[in-house]
Amino acid sequence: MEKSASGIGLKGVYGPDDVRCGTGSEQPGHPPFTRGAYEEMYRSQPWRIFQLSGFGNPEDEGARIRFLLDHGETGFIMEHDRNIADHLYDVDHREVVARREDVGLVGAVLLSVDDFDTVLQGIALDEVYAHPGGGVVQHGPFALASYWTVALERGYQLQQLAGTGQSDFFLTYLGCITKQQIPPSVGLRLNCDIIEFCEAHLPRWVPVSIAGYNGADSGLDSVQELGAVFANSIEYLDEMQRRGTVPLERVAQRVGGINLRVGLDLFEDAAKLRAARRIWSRLLRERYGITDTRASKLRIHSLTAGSSMRYQQPLNNIVRGTIMALAGVLGGTQSLGVSGYDEAISIPSEHAHQMSIRVQQILQNECNLTEVSDPLGGSYYVEALTEALDERATTFTSEILEQGGFVSALDSGWLHGVAAENQLTELRDIESGAKRIVGVNVATEDDSPFVVDGFQGSSDAWERGMERITALRAERDSHRTGDALKALDLACRSNGNVMPPMMDAVASRATVGEIGGVFRAAFGDWNVPIRF
Amino acid sequence: MARVLVAKTGLDGHWRGVLAVATALREAGFEVILLGMATTEEIVAAAEQEDVDLVGLNVGGHIAVVERIIEGLRARLPDLPVIAGGTIAPWVVERLAELGVPSFPPGSRLADVVTAARNAVGESTKQ
Repeated sequence: MEKSASGIGLKGVYGPDDVRCGTGSEQPGHPPFTRGAYEEMYRSQPWRIFQLSGFGNPEDEGARIRFLLDHGETGFIMEHDRNIADHLYDVDHREVVARREDVGLVGAVLLSVDDFDTVLQGIALDEVYAHPGGGVVQHGPFALASYWTVALERGYQLQQLAGTGQSDFFLTYLGCITKQQIPPSVGLRLNCDIIEFCEAHLPRWVPVSIAGYNGADSGLDSVQELGAVFANSIEYLDEMQRRGTVPLERVAQRVGGINLRVGLDLFEDAAKLRAARRIWSRLLRERYGITDTRASKLRIHSLTAGSSMRYQQPLNNIVRGTIMALAGVLGGTQSLGVSGYDEAISIPSEHAHQMSIRVQQILQNECNLTEVSDPLGGSYYVEALTEALDERATTFTSEILEQGGFVSALDSGWLHGVAAENQLTELRDIESGAKRIVGVNVATEDDSPFVVDGFQGSSDAWERGMERITALRAERDSHRTGDALKALDLACRSNGNVMPPMMDAVASRATVGEIGGVFRAAFGDWNVPIRF
Repeated sequence: MARVLVAKTGLDGHWRGVLAVATALREAGFEVILLGMATTEEIVAAAEQEDVDLVGLNVGGHIAVVERIIEGLRARLPDLPVIAGGTIAPWVVERLAELGVPSFPPGSRLADVVTAARNAVGESTKQ
């Protein structure tokens, strides 16, 4: 039997008997939101063009962001150097010095709030929608506090700012496992601290964004991605319910902005977004008694599967990006990022980045896709897929809960085992030809006159970072910085919210590595459970 | 049984590729020591202590970092073969080939990695 990407058996044709409930009487913008989060969908607001960007020095990252905004991007995502940001190491940490040429290759080197200020030169912070980074959990508080502090120092009020954090467990503990990282239980605490802080000060900010994308691109299939996303949201809701500091409807609204991967199984991936909204609405009602529509309206950011972008014949990836983007649009995404055609080789070149925007602009302007909500609604096939994904994902959520919950399933390595097994199966299927990929195991001859070399960025990011950090340490009020770091340390070791002392530490020009030092001393390291 | 040390040169924590390669090598009969992210000194020390027949590097970053590791290995263990895999641009594949290091960019077949590993071990003086 033929199967979808996540293993749902497929018939040759679908009819009314294949759909149990369907969405016949449902309307977009109304519970359970299968057909869309908003009544008018793209007629009232097109999806946000939202691309990852950043490399090299703060000036390089700022220039690329302004380039993208000038070319039609409607929000920006700051990408940070993984050596520095994901690990909370300064440029002179021995682990970084050992790999100094790597620094700046896949993200910008942002060591203190001053570097954030440099990136954000020329950008009106009350007019943009920003994702300041902090994809990795331990980096989230620093990245957010730095962006917010730049705004405060420029005279804005926090309530004027619109944007999103991330602090994603899938990236941190499943997809991109760092050498040193705070344990997941501490990550849960920090994320809930961010939720509380945003509730108090930043009404237009998504505090944390669960990114199923990072689980899916690590090997989870669509069913498992959805199931794990909602197991993750249950952790946040349960913990915030235990704290009792924020009304649960408000928490649900705060964490109801998620990120999903859209891949090349066009109809399954479109159906995944429909199923996600339905599951969220039902989960809130059944588990927490929440029916408030602002809370139960799930908003989705979609990102095309980076792992589906191929090294061989890279221009083909423009087509792949378009089809994956279409899945997100047909599924009713609120924002969208399209991977660069050079994704398998490097971070995006300027031209690849421009193409990711152009793909979205063609979909928005030339294809009449923005006029009708939920165009797939009522398709026997898509409704059947939506129901199958809903049912299977809900079962997978239950399996994770049986493992003790999402954090336990990460702590034990259970979820890593699931992802690794899928990953190996996929590689074997490509190798055997069971999974066909153009340029890789089908149509492998290549007469393209275009050479895609891979983007290299700037070569002096580490040296420039060393200069900046030396100057910063000499010039700042070191007593003030020391006091602020002590206060942060105290908060980490108590039950207090870490965000107010984090704001003070950032404003005192504490560096990313100094904050990492406080975290490592207070919280220790996660024991990575990957089995081999 | 030939022993292979598998290490990541960078601090980029994407692990799925390296785990797949390590698994394939083990299933092909190699004894795999998975070191994870490691510096030149750590890789050289582990290669000596574990008395390996081959080093497999997962390369995610700059060629200069990889070159430093290869130099470090050759200074202490001149006959130890090295192979590499990861997000390797076409021009880096060529540079590594000049250094005598076969490399496998995305889309490579696991079977080809295993073949290269067997050939490398066959050529090494230990066999």
